[in-house]
Amino acid sequence: MSFWKSLYSRAGRSLRILALLPLLAMAALPFSAHGQTVQLEASSEYSRPDPFGNIVEADRSKGENRDAKDSPGLLRAARNGYASFHLTAKLPAGGPYSLSVSFQKPAGLQIDLLKAWYHLHQKSRTYYPDALIPVLNPFQASLPDAENRIPGQTSQAFWVDVFIPRDTPPGRYDGEATLQSGSRRASMKIQLEVLQAAIPEDDPVIVDHNSYGTSWLAQLYPKLSRAQGDGFFRSDALFSLIHAYHRLFYEHRGAFHQLGYGHAGKVGPEFAPALAGVGREKKITSWELYDRHYGPLLDGSAFARTRRGARPIPFVYLPINPEWPASFLAWGEPGYEAEFVNVVGEMERHFRAKGWTRTRFEMFFNHKKRYKGFHWDGDEARFSKDDAPAREFDRLLKKAVPRDSPVQFVHRLDASWRLEDQFKSLAGVVNFWICSTTILSWLPEPLQAVRQRGDIVWTYAGPPAIDEASSAILENPLRAWMWSADGYVHWLTVSPSTDPWFASEGETTCLAYPGERFGIDGPIPSIRLKIQRNFLQDLSLMRALEKTHAPDLLRREVSRRVNGTAPADWWNPRPALANLPPEDWTNPAIDRAVAATQHRYQNWSPRYWQPIRQYILNLAEGGQPQ
Amino acid sequence: MTTRACLFFLLVAFSLSIEGRAQSAPDESLARELEEVARVATVMVDGDVCQRIMTERALKKMFVVDPEDRWAGADNFDVNAEPFIQTKKTLMRLARLRPYPVDCNLWMLFKENPRQIQILIRNQYEMSRFWTWGVLTQEIPPEMADVLSSGKPKTTTGKDGLVSVLTPVYNSLGEIVGLVEVVGRARMNWQENVK
Repeated sequence: MSFWKSLYSRAGRSLRILALLPLLAMAALPFSAHGQTVQLEASSEYSRPDPFGNIVEADRSKGENRDAKDSPGLLRAARNGYASFHLTAKLPAGGPYSLSVSFQKPAGLQIDLLKAWYHLHQKSRTYYPDALIPVLNPFQASLPDAENRIPGQTSQAFWVDVFIPRDTPPGRYDGEATLQSGSRRASMKIQLEVLQAAIPEDDPVIVDHNSYGTSWLAQLYPKLSRAQGDGFFRSDALFSLIHAYHRLFYEHRGAFHQLGYGHAGKVGPEFAPALAGVGREKKITSWELYDRHYGPLLDGSAFARTRRGARPIPFVYLPINPEWPASFLAWGEPGYEAEFVNVVGEMERHFRAKGWTRTRFEMFFNHKKRYKGFHWDGDEARFSKDDAPAREFDRLLKKAVPRDSPVQFVHRLDASWRLEDQFKSLAGVVNFWICSTTILSWLPEPLQAVRQRGDIVWTYAGPPAIDEASSAILENPLRAWMWSADGYVHWLTVSPSTDPWFASEGETTCLAYPGERFGIDGPIPSIRLKIQRNFLQDLSLMRALEKTHAPDLLRREVSRRVNGTAPADWWNPRPALANLPPEDWTNPAIDRAVAATQHRYQNWSPRYWQPIRQYILNLAEGGQPQ
Repeated sequence: MTTRACLFFLLVAFSLSIEGRAQSAPDESLARELEEVARVATVMVDGDVCQRIMTERALKKMFVVDPEDRWAGADNFDVNAEPFIQTKKTLMRLARLRPYPVDCNLWMLFKENPRQIQILIRNQYEMSRFWTWGVLTQEIPPEMADVLSSGKPKTTTGKDGLVSVLTPVYNSLGEIVGLVEVVGRARMNWQENVK
């Protein structure tokens, strides 16, 4: 009999475990037996526990003690979403232990128990939990954790996700977490209030997680790639891995991008159909790798067994670049147009025949002159002369794709220096903008105009480091929402430090870690990714509230609650710098241009979003906005 | 014009439709074949045109050290389209002299900084034995220094099976102004540098 079963039969209950909370509340009931006590503590998602039983400094407000408590209280949550908290097992004397989390009513609540990995942050020599390893519930292990190798470790944190299916009856659910170590035992009651409201499927802000190529997969999964030998990059194992990354981000309400070409035009074969021929005879000879890679993503079947259900990915990069499908050798000559139009036309027909009409296929140029492949900047152009190739490719795309095609091709441009100019000079050419957050910050009216003409607008930046407040991950998506942008891109999210486990450099390019170390042929999430997901749930609920409440009012109330500002304060005044030609700008000058308002984003309480979530939930339950 | 037409004819004869075929040349013959491409490259690549590729503005900004703006050189990097395209197309045609993946990269010296060299044009297979990915300029490697001083091509092998032949580029004054790196490998890595 397992520990979990024996525990509950002793208690005379026949509670079947795992179905947990949407909105929980918990009250800690430390239980002391003879000898040293063992303890269970819960803290809100914004209070990360360290391996010694305290909250990490970055998540404590000014003046808070190391051992500050931050119980999440009663958990409240809407249906079709998650309620989450940190659960810490404290065993000062160490030794084997068993941990379980369960709910009494078999209401379909689903509990995910994930064990936190403590990364040793190289610079500060401090441990931060971030990677989350899915474990069984009940879970059995020992402290100190032999693998994490932390001298003096007395506590182990777990992230608890409670998924509340849409059909869960509203009401209060009682649960319990139990820690047992030999004869010592501690338990904690968990109370979850499931609300009537349900989180919509769609997100008002698409949060994208970007990456480049596939070589990193072989590096992060050496066992898996070695097992496939030379065939790894054509193997089912590779495509399964790619799909697993897509699933992870999708389950966390995000999107995932992999760019399939380099700055000089090299295309990974797994990202494009195979081509042959020259000029008029250039054509696609095989869709084999492309369809194995993208087919399940574009028809949604890759997501069939997820909680969110099968759905095609919303966006995908095309392999189009200055060297593909047309060879740059023919640039400026009739052959370039012939090759481009032939092949892209074939692609459109293939996509249409497959019914891949719910995804936006992006023609996007990532190359920069500084990498010496081509003579213009496709990405973050600084010189006005670089608009001409964008116009030419737009002409070619429009020639290749029938006007009435149900396949959605979009022309994407990532812009910074010349964003303001390009909003105008490339109107009708580019219809998908990825904007520097800093530059866009002084362009509220141009943004509004661009969105009114139907263009899609995202912002970009990168994830915060693990030694920043855990709520820092919310800042950029929140800003995108405040600005009514359509999305936000983390520019790189799958690239951990050389040794993320014992010498972390901060993980500012990693939100999903390789699971191979833990016997998982796929990625594992991070705490930052979980926190971001829960925040996106809140935004999604806000989107639903816009049916009954003025969007401006909601933004005003959120802004006030974040930092006592008004929505207008999230913008910067257009600086004098903006009147100079962008080629005369410098990076420090840009920083200075927005420096006066940066304080608005600083010194926020690490847990500032908690009361705002409650505000949103109250609204969803019929409360008044003010 | 005549020379260019002849070259084009030659290229057609070599059946250019590489499009990324993966077949690899046997190790032992690869260096010899690349040396032949290099020999043609020194004849065909016009050093005067190459010297006009970078804009004056970008050259001025390239070596200005601004501790507050470490990316200034890269952010201001710029080229003149016409000489860039003309030279890149020549390099691409040269690479097609072989029916397997070969890159011909242009490396250029600086009057402003004689100890430095930059890769100025790269090509579709993104191979180089000498470029540290992402750097704007770098110290002249000893192998390149040999070619620059002797005027004789040099074949090198090294990391990841790359075989590289360095050959001088001359301007109309008879000065060596740069190098072409003709590079291939017996076993293509299709995922490398897709980033």
